[in-house]
Amino acid sequence: GGHTTEILRLLSCLSESYSPRHYILADSDKMSEAKIRSFEQKRAETFSNSQFTLDRIPRSREVRQSWTSSMVTTLYSILYSLPLTYKLKPDLILCNGPGTCVPVCISALLLGLLGLKRAIIVYVESICRVETLSLSGKILYYFSDYFIVQWPALKEKYPKSVFLGRIV
Amino acid sequence: FRFKDSLAEDLRRADLVISHAGAGSCLETLEEGKPLIVVINEKLMNNHQLELAKQLHRDGHVLYCNCSTLVETLQSMDLSTLKPFPPGQPEKFALFLDKAVGFE
Repeated sequence: GGHTTEILRLLSCLSESYSPRHYILADSDKMSEAKIRSFEQKRAETFSNSQFTLDRIPRSREVRQSWTSSMVTTLYSILYSLPLTYKLKPDLILCNGPGTCVPVCISALLLGLLGLKRAIIVYVESICRVETLSLSGKILYYFSDYFIVQWPALKEKYPKSVFLGRIV
Repeated sequence: FRFKDSLAEDLRRADLVISHAGAGSCLETLEEGKPLIVVINEKLMNNHQLELAKQLHRDGHVLYCNCSTLVETLQSMDLSTLKPFPPGQPEKFALFLDKAVGFE
């Protein structure tokens, strides 16, 4: 719920150049779809040609799931995401921390390596993260093109990150 | 409450909010401009959850206590010391992103 609220706020000021928007959710997520549809409906009232799609992928990791089983489930999610990412061929991937984003980004990186499609990966760490990064953040710090943090302590610890202040 | 879709209505009608340290609860309350006391459950200590509550307290936006000191806090609190919580600025993100992807 928190991640979805944050990402929709991030999207709120983006122009219609960022279209069509493809949302990817975890299969077990019950609340985000309604929030997304509501956001997109409002958006369609302002921008007539507004387009979006919604897809679901298997959740790569449950909270506090063990390391070894997480590797297996994440690998499964990556394999599952590959055909989806290939189909969508995104120019830009925007994510903010749920485990769901890691397999999507990794599959996008693989597609880039194979010369099939190069996506810009922008990661915005959650506002909840003041002093430490989430696990997704720790991984994607090295693999994203732009890594945005919302508190100065993180900018100090992670010098390659971008600090814009609070943006959600 | 666990089953309500949204606490927004309750929040709007409240004069004071006492909450756990969950980010959503804290931020929604502060954005509504309501005074907030965050109660930390030391037994459930999820360190990551505390980061935001601690920072908000450091910045003077919330009062802070644990279950055993709640009554004392309620008796001695001075809500006028709480500072207003300015909204986030997604426009800054939009500007940054436009430059990053080449839309200018």
